Amino acid sequence: MTAASPAVLHRVGDQALAWLDAHREYFRLTDEDRATGRGIVERLKPVGELAVNMRVLAREGVAGSRQHDISVRLLDHVWRDLLDGGNLLAELQRQEPLSPVPLEIYAGLYELGHRHPGLESAIDLARGTASWQALEMVPNRRLGLLNAERMIGRVPGGDPGKVLAATWLGRMPEPWTVQLHIAYDITHTVFHLTDWGAAPDRIPPRVADYLARYLPAWTADWAELEHWDLLGELLVVDACLPRPVLDAGMWELYAAAQAPDGAMPVQGAMPAGERAEVFDQVHHPTLVAAFASAMATSRALSADLAA
Amino acid sequence: MAGQAQENSSLSTVVADVAGGVALALDGEGGSYALSALLAQRDTVALAAIRVLGADVLAPYALNGGAVRGGSDAPDSQVVRRALAAYPPGADASDVSLWSYRGLVEASRAFLPPGGEDWPVEPQAGDTWVRTDPWPKLAHRASQLAALSLPGLAPGLAAGLAARTDDLARGFVRAVRRRDWLQAAGLGRWLVRMPDVPDTLGLEAGLVFVHRMSGGDPRVSLHASAARCFPGGSR
Repeated sequence: MTAASPAVLHRVGDQALAWLDAHREYFRLTDEDRATGRGIVERLKPVGELAVNMRVLAREGVAGSRQHDISVRLLDHVWRDLLDGGNLLAELQRQEPLSPVPLEIYAGLYELGHRHPGLESAIDLARGTASWQALEMVPNRRLGLLNAERMIGRVPGGDPGKVLAATWLGRMPEPWTVQLHIAYDITHTVFHLTDWGAAPDRIPPRVADYLARYLPAWTADWAELEHWDLLGELLVVDACLPRPVLDAGMWELYAAAQAPDGAMPVQGAMPAGERAEVFDQVHHPTLVAAFASAMATSRALSADLAA
Repeated sequence: MAGQAQENSSLSTVVADVAGGVALALDGEGGSYALSALLAQRDTVALAAIRVLGADVLAPYALNGGAVRGGSDAPDSQVVRRALAAYPPGADASDVSLWSYRGLVEASRAFLPPGGEDWPVEPQAGDTWVRTDPWPKLAHRASQLAALSLPGLAPGLAAGLAARTDDLARGFVRAVRRRDWLQAAGLGRWLVRMPDVPDTLGLEAGLVFVHRMSGGDPRVSLHASAARCFPGGSR
């Protein structure tokens, strides 16, 4: 397999970021969201994803000055205008004191320098209970929560190794049983385990071997199904491996799926509709495209590539 | 083209019948096996079916180390000779076609009585692809040649494929994902013979899964039975 050229890898992210910037007003809460309180968590999920992505860009050092400016502008917008300097998250925590969601969103922003002491003390209040550790959630999300605690400078309230062992990936079952939801469980386990690609060496060797062996099969299959959202996440996983493949064929297919304005469709072609509706549908795959591009570009410039 | 369609449909029916008969014999439920007894019609379709299934039409004879069946004019020898004569690989034959023909000749030599007449000479078949094909294409070709995984046949091909065990494992995973049960089962036959097949593949459960999910496709059944009968790496 030939490795993709850094130019292709970089361009995908550059275009994705330009689209996110041009659509930043759509990282939003509608009046209805604010009035009813319903759907706020769903609306804020992209904000957490955005923060994580901007952090990856800053960390991997592959962003040019224009990308850096866009990233600062986007984050300022969400922190100041959407989250009201963190007050919105603090309010959510007050309404539902044991909710892990505010921490999950805040952690990425914290690492980028934003602070809300009131929110942190509310999170600490929750963390001080036995209930916090007893909260039921799927193991890969638990892994993410431990990572979020670490990101805001707290001691994680659990052993990531034990939590990993409870995930689908940690058990390394039959690779031919992987379906869409299992595939997302795999990618998210890798994201949380490696702190969004910052620490690829946290993947235990046996799990890295398992991924190196079977990831190409999953990647080829979802590329053929034109599932660009999942393909992007699988390409991130590849970039987190000790010897990434950065398969030129897969990256060219992925790049070709990107719309001229930089948006990445979830699956198949771009949806039609109002700008806001289209944003709601494609912001996730487009964020993933920025993430995958930053990781892969960085690895292309530094890593031992697989043969 | 109605005649052509009818012939194709008739060929797939005969292929399925023979594959089912081989699978039953491998499972030990078919009594004493005789290829010629499976072929109701002694026509070109029967000969074509033999060519399609290749060495697998003689798979039950490989069970006991290839005990000789009958005299030199045994009906099975005759019908295989006729199939080899009727469908030799053409000048522009693909490597898969050449290997498949070669496999049938090798199997005949190994498992049928020598008789007075020589078997055709095995054609040379290219094997560069075994080293150079990207894994999806390699998996596709290897699966088409699953009959050559019978014990004692094509040792060079088996060794070449064994060097790419991980690539065949990837092909198995992708074939199951794509619900291409025939390709998955064919790959499974090679993989059960390979010493380095990874435990994480879950091959045994995979073959049971593939067999069940195929809904009783006789060609998948043949592969699944052969995988059970001929495991292990020793040749």
